[in-house]
Amino acid sequence: MDMTPKLAIRLNALTLYGVSAVLILAFYWQLAYDEVPCPLCLLQRVALTGLAVGPILTIRHGPRPANYGLVIIAALMGAAIAARQILLHIMPGDPGFGSAFLGLHFYTWAFLCFVMAILWAAVMLTFGKQFAPQPNAPARNTFDVLAVWLIIGFTGLNAASALLECGFSGCPANPARYQLLN
Amino acid sequence: MEFFIAFFNFALAMWLAWRHEAPSAVYVFFAGLVFTAALYLRHAKDALPLSF
Repeated sequence: MDMTPKLAIRLNALTLYGVSAVLILAFYWQLAYDEVPCPLCLLQRVALTGLAVGPILTIRHGPRPANYGLVIIAALMGAAIAARQILLHIMPGDPGFGSAFLGLHFYTWAFLCFVMAILWAAVMLTFGKQFAPQPNAPARNTFDVLAVWLIIGFTGLNAASALLECGFSGCPANPARYQLLN
Repeated sequence: MEFFIAFFNFALAMWLAWRHEAPSAVYVFFAGLVFTAALYLRHAKDALPLSF
């Protein structure tokens, strides 16, 4: 299979939709079940938003190996944060932090997502034809552009939510309420 | 406030990636990464219940 720049851009847009879906799920859980995210949970969301910068560069300027490098770096940061939270609750009898989704806690799902992102970037890097110089700017459609603005929008919503939760000072270690709503 | 800055940083990196040339977005991305690492060191203070 030939990985054309057009196909690579489409796959990067799909990845952005995937990252947005994870953020939407986390947001839904936060609001529907009134679970205020802890600092390490927020950091994992921050790393998730960091994953999006590489694909946006690919959609806007065309595929380059460095863009996939950015995905791997952000995913390594996120995996380190999620792994620490897994290790905090790894002892038998520890109920874990927050509720579980499909049998796994959200930080475990986050770790799996970051590992999958590393794998995805590594696989994409093996398809070299997408990096061939192109005479024209890469073609984008509404599907790609919507993916970009969706993830930027959800990052902005997360910024607003973090501000409501932590207020204008440092975030508490185990937040139970929104500082700015009291 | 600190997490607001972290999210805002990456939102800015995304906007720069979309509206401007690549280098500015990459610089802001790495600034966000350093800030995230600093936040991680600030908040990951609980001792792990492990021994190696």
